[in-house]
Amino acid sequence: MSWLGGWLREIILIVLLATFVELLLPSKSMERYARLVLSLLILLTLLGPIVSLLKGSAASELSLALSRSDGGTSGQTGTAAAELQKILADGRRLAAGSRDQSLKLAAQQIAGQMRDQIAAETGKHGANVNVTLALTNEADATWAPAITQVVVTLPGEAGAAQGNAPGGPGSGGSTPIMVQPVEDIKVKLGEGENRPKEQDASAGRADLAVSGTDEGGGSGGADAQAVTALLEKNWSLDPGKIKVVGGGTDKL
Amino acid sequence: MEIIQIVGIGLMSTVLILVLKEQKPMFAFLLAAATGILIFLFLIGRIGGVISTLQRLAESSGMETVYLKTVFKIIGIAYIAEFGAQIVRDAGQESIASKIELAGKVLIMTLAVPIIGIIIETVMKLLPA
Repeated sequence: MSWLGGWLREIILIVLLATFVELLLPSKSMERYARLVLSLLILLTLLGPIVSLLKGSAASELSLALSRSDGGTSGQTGTAAAELQKILADGRRLAAGSRDQSLKLAAQQIAGQMRDQIAAETGKHGANVNVTLALTNEADATWAPAITQVVVTLPGEAGAAQGNAPGGPGSGGSTPIMVQPVEDIKVKLGEGENRPKEQDASAGRADLAVSGTDEGGGSGGADAQAVTALLEKNWSLDPGKIKVVGGGTDKL
Repeated sequence: MEIIQIVGIGLMSTVLILVLKEQKPMFAFLLAAATGILIFLFLIGRIGGVISTLQRLAESSGMETVYLKTVFKIIGIAYIAEFGAQIVRDAGQESIASKIELAGKVLIMTLAVPIIGIIIETVMKLLPA
């Protein structure tokens, strides 16, 4: 029933205003014309609920119609409106450009902070972090940037230092060529019977190296998990959005 | 008491105009126009006060501002057209004065066109096809 009260109040106010305006009019010659417009306004107020039902808000309809009629009376309004539209479009484009730029800058800064955190927590220096930001609720005025994906590329040097075999699915084309260090060979003449022992020893070292590789792979996986957990905890990220490549993960 | 000032200015300028009219009718007209403008400027502040009060009242009572704007446009057009027509009439150009009044009437009528459009569209939608 509140709309009924508002409607009645509006009608009463319009009638009062119309009476006051008739008193204010400077001459009788204008009176008939002013009375026509005022009576039409009263009629529109009376029809307000029906207009709202059929066409939306009566006041906004009238405002739109009045602005359109004002536009029709002035001479260069068409070109002015076109220019205004162009200026508005330019403004929108510039705003979108600056928004993209600020998103890129924010993504870079977030990536830097993540890199520092990874280095501090896991000791993996030189990790390459790639953050993708996107706007949420872009249609509304309440849009906000959100992290859509984080790609962490762990450095491969740590694995190489442990004697790991180079290359892997995540390392791509930039696989460093690893050269096995030359081991000292002690040659003792006349001790041929010891030769198999030497070979066994070198084989043992190779076994050790292989087991080292496995350990390295295991620690790499642990690193990837640690990095994922760290980013999840510090940045409240969905684990699906975090992708860790390189380092130990490519050997898993 | 602004009314005393206004009446005083009006009387003085009338005497001056009557004296000048015989010798220099052109200056007499200029004096009349200047007096009219001066009195109008005196009243502008008061008109502004009335309008702002009405606006405040309408806003506080929840009335749509577009209705109020339309009413103010009517008052403004009527006053300005009347003022211009009287000045021109003082100069003895009755036909120009009536044209100014006509322009005022047409502009007031122009304000009615969008309202008529909305009302007619609404009524047409209500009628069965």
